[in-house]
Amino acid sequence: MNNIEKYNKVFMESLGVTEEQLAGLEYTGVDSWDSVGHMNLIACLEEAFDIMMETDDIIDFSSYEKGKEILAEKYDVAF
Amino acid sequence: MNAVITGSNRGIGNAIMHTFAHNKYNIWACARTPSESFESEINQLSKSCGVSIEPVYFDLADENAVKAGVKQIFSYKKSVDVLVNNAGMGHGGTLMMTPVSKLREVYEINVFAQIHMMQLISRAMTRQQSGSIINICSVGGMEVGKGYIAYGSSKAAMIWLTKAAAKELGEFGIRVNGIAPGLTDTEMGHYKSDEEIQKVFDRTVIKRFGKPEEIAQGALYLASDAAAFITGQILVIDGGRVI
Ligand SMILES: NC(=O)c1ccc[n+]([C@@H]2O[C@H](COP(=O)([O-])OP(=O)(O)OC[C@H]3O[C@@H](n4cnc5c(N)ncnc54)[C@H](OP(=O)(O)O)[C@@H]3O)[C@@H](O)[C@H]2O)c1
Repeated sequence: MNNIEKYNKVFMESLGVTEEQLAGLEYTGVDSWDSVGHMNLIACLEEAFDIMMETDDIIDFSSYEKGKEILAEKYDVAF
Repeated sequence: MNAVITGSNRGIGNAIMHTFAHNKYNIWACARTPSESFESEINQLSKSCGVSIEPVYFDLADENAVKAGVKQIFSYKKSVDVLVNNAGMGHGGTLMMTPVSKLREVYEINVFAQIHMMQLISRAMTRQQSGSIINICSVGGMEVGKGYIAYGSSKAAMIWLTKAAAKELGEFGIRVNGIAPGLTDTEMGHYKSDEEIQKVFDRTVIKRFGKPEEIAQGALYLASDAAAFITGQILVIDGGRVI
């Protein structure tokens, strides 16, 4: 599984969304991506990519796209 | 079960490490400074109890070192069932005699580093949807006396934080409790003058120092399933000082 597949899988599994919903998906854009869902999502991403995210990045992680940007720029995850 | 214990090289943390090992916990024994005597102590303890005890060294004053320490803990790919936030520092000083720089130093260790540990470790617990965090607070954070501006307020902050964290992390199956020891027979417990110690005994029902093992038994209970319905509480173990 490549990184984008991994990233999508974490989103779909932890937030219970479909692949079609991913593009443009934003924090609080679906019921499951509330503050609790956010912590679950971050915890699952950290495990999937074996990283430990900074609190500032967890706060900035405001959308599906922004998350990709953060992982690529700060945690060397190549998409 | 696997537990992270900070300040496990001496005092209350050391007693918690021994008690948990004797009760079949595998342990990440966190300490500030590597030492041969500590490593030989944990090797013996781990052999005699048939559990694994791994030393993890970091200074709580160094945010990056804390992160590296937690990363090391996560690298074992084991569940992290218990965090005992025990390490802390004492300080005596009145309002007028406590420089803000000292206040910052005390808060850095007794509050900020404790929050940082909870933030990092709770992420593993969130993945597991289970875990127990025990913050070693102090009756010094409940009883308001003169001369403990930095220490007392830092421990009061930890009591509030323990309760708030219990509310926030409950959704992830994580329990958060605190222990408020009274005067305990460790280096820190003997920090007060004999006169001050006597004054504490005078207002305490059981007039002696608590044993570190007595605090450790409280931690063992809060970590266990016997306390599965307890969260957001501060267990006072002080011989009846704060009633
Ligand atoms: N003893 C009491 O009467 C009493 C009463 C109420 C609450 N408490 C609380 O109980 C906890 C343990 O106290 P204790 O009596 O066992 O104290 P202690 O004997 O003085 O031990 C303190 C422990 O904390 C560690 N520590 C301090 N600063 C650290 C840092 N920057 N980085 C990493 N480790 C650090 C020390 O490591 P080093 O060996 O490297 O210094 C040591 O292991 C503390 O939170 C304390 O506030 C104690």
